[in-house]
Amino acid sequence: MGHHHGPKEKPSLKVNRRHFFSQLSVGIGSLALGSLLIPDLFKGPSKEVAAKALGVPHFAPKAKRIIYLFQAGAPSQLETFDHKPTLRKRMGEDLPESIRNGQRLTGMTANQNKFPLMPPKVGFQQHGQSGTWISDFFPYTAKIADEITVIRSMHTEAINHDPAITFFQTGSQISGRPCMGSWLSYGLGSENKNLPSFVVLTSRGKGNSQGLYAKLWSSGFLDSKHQGVLLRSGKDPVLYLNDPEGLSRSDKRHLLDHVSSLNKMHHVETGDDEIESRIAQYEMAYRMQMSVPDVMDISKEPESIIKLYGEDCQVPGTYAANALQARRLAENGVRFIQLYHQGWDQHGNLPNEMAGQAKDVDQASAALVLDLKQRGMLEDTLVVWGGEFGRGNYCQGKFDPNNYGRDHHPRAFSIWMAGGGIKPGLNYGQTDEFGYNVVENPVHINDFHATLMHSMGLDHENLIYKYQGRRFRLTDVAGHVVKDILA
Amino acid sequence: MVNTQSSKWTDYVVFGLSVFLIFCLLFESFLELPVLVAWIGRWHPLLLHFPIVLLLIAIFLSLTGRNVPPNLLLVGVLSALLTAISGFFLGKEAGTRGDLLFWHKWLGSALALLAVLWYWAKSTGWHNPVFAKGIPLAITGLVFFTGHYGGMVTHGEDFLTLPTGKAPMEIPENPLVYAHIVQPILEQNCVQCHNPNKQKGGLLMTGLPGLRKGGEKGNTLIPGQPEASEMIRRLHLPVEDEEHMPPEGERPLQDNEIRILERWIALGASDTLRMDHLEPSEPLAKLIQDLMVPDPMQNWETLPKVVDSTLLRLSSDYLTLTRMANATNALKVNVYMPPKYDAQMVLDLIPIQKNIVELDLSGLPIGQKEMAFTANCPNLEWLEVDRTPISDVEMDTLGHLEKVRFLKVFETRIGDASLTLFRDWKDLKRLYIWDTQVSPQVLEEFKLERPEVLIENGINNEVRSFFIASDSIPKN
Repeated sequence: MGHHHGPKEKPSLKVNRRHFFSQLSVGIGSLALGSLLIPDLFKGPSKEVAAKALGVPHFAPKAKRIIYLFQAGAPSQLETFDHKPTLRKRMGEDLPESIRNGQRLTGMTANQNKFPLMPPKVGFQQHGQSGTWISDFFPYTAKIADEITVIRSMHTEAINHDPAITFFQTGSQISGRPCMGSWLSYGLGSENKNLPSFVVLTSRGKGNSQGLYAKLWSSGFLDSKHQGVLLRSGKDPVLYLNDPEGLSRSDKRHLLDHVSSLNKMHHVETGDDEIESRIAQYEMAYRMQMSVPDVMDISKEPESIIKLYGEDCQVPGTYAANALQARRLAENGVRFIQLYHQGWDQHGNLPNEMAGQAKDVDQASAALVLDLKQRGMLEDTLVVWGGEFGRGNYCQGKFDPNNYGRDHHPRAFSIWMAGGGIKPGLNYGQTDEFGYNVVENPVHINDFHATLMHSMGLDHENLIYKYQGRRFRLTDVAGHVVKDILA
Repeated sequence: MVNTQSSKWTDYVVFGLSVFLIFCLLFESFLELPVLVAWIGRWHPLLLHFPIVLLLIAIFLSLTGRNVPPNLLLVGVLSALLTAISGFFLGKEAGTRGDLLFWHKWLGSALALLAVLWYWAKSTGWHNPVFAKGIPLAITGLVFFTGHYGGMVTHGEDFLTLPTGKAPMEIPENPLVYAHIVQPILEQNCVQCHNPNKQKGGLLMTGLPGLRKGGEKGNTLIPGQPEASEMIRRLHLPVEDEEHMPPEGERPLQDNEIRILERWIALGASDTLRMDHLEPSEPLAKLIQDLMVPDPMQNWETLPKVVDSTLLRLSSDYLTLTRMANATNALKVNVYMPPKYDAQMVLDLIPIQKNIVELDLSGLPIGQKEMAFTANCPNLEWLEVDRTPISDVEMDTLGHLEKVRFLKVFETRIGDASLTLFRDWKDLKRLYIWDTQVSPQVLEEFKLERPEVLIENGINNEVRSFFIASDSIPKN
């Protein structure tokens, strides 16, 4: 026998447990106060007020959006921006213990009995008025030396890819927290309602790669509408976005309207906010059916732009194509555009692999900065280029100055930033002569996050989300804005 | 008869204290206070409240023709004497004094002695109608002035001045680092306790000589060595620390203020150093620049109020309307190309025109109507009309948009006439004008006339040819 349903309860009494508890504390307060002062207050916690305070910067921002060119796998600072002649002078000598100073190593080199110092095979030159040292792997980046700020004093705690990249994305080495892009979407809202405010584009070089997972664009405990949307190359940038054949747009509209009215009824019954999110996402997807193909279509880009980014930008799925796409997304008001280029994990065969990786990204990264600049978008778009940690200054594996590898290194690495209220042509922070330890102006990942949020008009100490009884921030309990690099 | 006996005894105390006070005042310069006596002086801020209240009550009763209880007056007079004497001790401890302390001391002493006189007149039954009214009135006046001077010694001379809306300090074009930047910071945060009237720790911060001389230990400021300078050390202590400055309860200095002081000391703490002496890479230059740039939020304070429901009502899927920041009425408008564009979606914003400071119409098929709308946004600072079909004709509608700093007009059909128009936009700082019909000569003239405007006329040819010459990416 099936269940016998009792007489139908009144919908308004159907409050589920989660809803009940989340409203309870406020409910009691407003019961006491509200009934005395403002009868309307009793109708519910001032949710609307909270929602409005969100979605607006805390103070006038310098940057309205971020394009983060993430070099997954961790490019070596010693072959990119940190020029250390000492390594050549002392080539083959063992890394002094006074420098290593107990640094834990990964399982890949922890068992090496020698740590011979290895100089970069590639040459270094100073470029621009700023005299920024840039390796010969990056001839195009060298042309924008005066537009970028190179930070050579980044440091992290993680020594393996997954925790390190998770740390960079979420401010914690352990998975589960919201990503930077989600925090910004949560704090600032969307600039264009027809596109997600957090978009991810991935590409892969020929170098040794590490995996990328959807958790790197997850919204964690924040509302799921803040999660990053991966735009794929090819026919369907967003999977399952397009309607099946034979369904017209007006039919789709009718369908959505009916589903939405059913969902709204359900929301009245249960009061679950995720239902509202779901309705909003259906609507967003409907608008994205129009907006995404439009923004992904580069056929109208003039030849001069194609050549600027390199011919490869016409090949979907390349870094160059993604860089051009990033500009188009930025133009269309996407807040946080995250590019990943895989293949920077050079434990061996470093000179060859890095040359290839650099070729993938060099021209397009520099072209993106130039293109943004001429469009006046460097004024309010912050571009970041960098990986999850640095690489060791000693040789991994067989000692061969022409074909060596470098293991992971958390204590010092280099990144660059451009635009969005960051000083152009600055060299910030220094490492010791071995390129191993930071000796001046260290920038921790928490500081980096605090600075990014500051550029976007957010006080990192005041963007807080309470979850399971604890208050969370992107910078958790740390982080200082690096004011010296702000223009 | 217990009553008369005890009153006799108290009279002696009053008399004795009066004599002691007069003695102190007369022989002030010969006195050297033992530590314990100096400590008694610390009770002055507590004691002083009693005579004020008690004497004023007595005066009120007396002036309204009621009976003044003798014990009330006695306690009032005693507390006045004790306050004056303890105040004298406290003043001795302060070392150098200024005018405020001088007046406070003499007015306070006069108050105590006049109260004694009144007490004596009342207790002996001596009655003169003029004195009966005159003395209480004089005491009232003295209470007011003594209290006022005392208050100024403690809280600073401008404590009672009416708040004047805190006019932002004007920093001249090429400021003197000390006079225009450093000293105002000290004035705002330190001088209240380190002035000639209240030289806490023996430190005078009203001028450079006082800073150089330093406090008790003399190491307040060591030119070239911010780390060794006591004032910097104390600024960096945790707020809970006893020695942190400013002391607990006062507003701590802001980070940028501390950095300015540090860098100024590091550069030698000179009073002749000017902004243009600083290297561009010197952090102090940047810190001062930041002070000189007016906070945009302040500029927006005068904008008309706009409520959130209005913003919600005027927003749509293709028009994003948001505040520039929390708690400001300045608005930013982004319009995106809808499936069917109609100028009305922009024109609907007319009610909030005065609030718009940023307007992005780029890439839209806009024309005369939208430009006429834009012309009526008097507070516009940021305008994007790039990649639109506008030409000189539509541009001309804009007339003078005086506050526009940032203008994007690239990839449009505007020409020389528009550039002539922009010459008069006096706040213009950035102009993105490549791929238009502007002639090179007129652009050159514009550059000469408005050298401060940063003009972006496309990617520099040398760089462009470097990028275009070689397509270095190997094909798969």
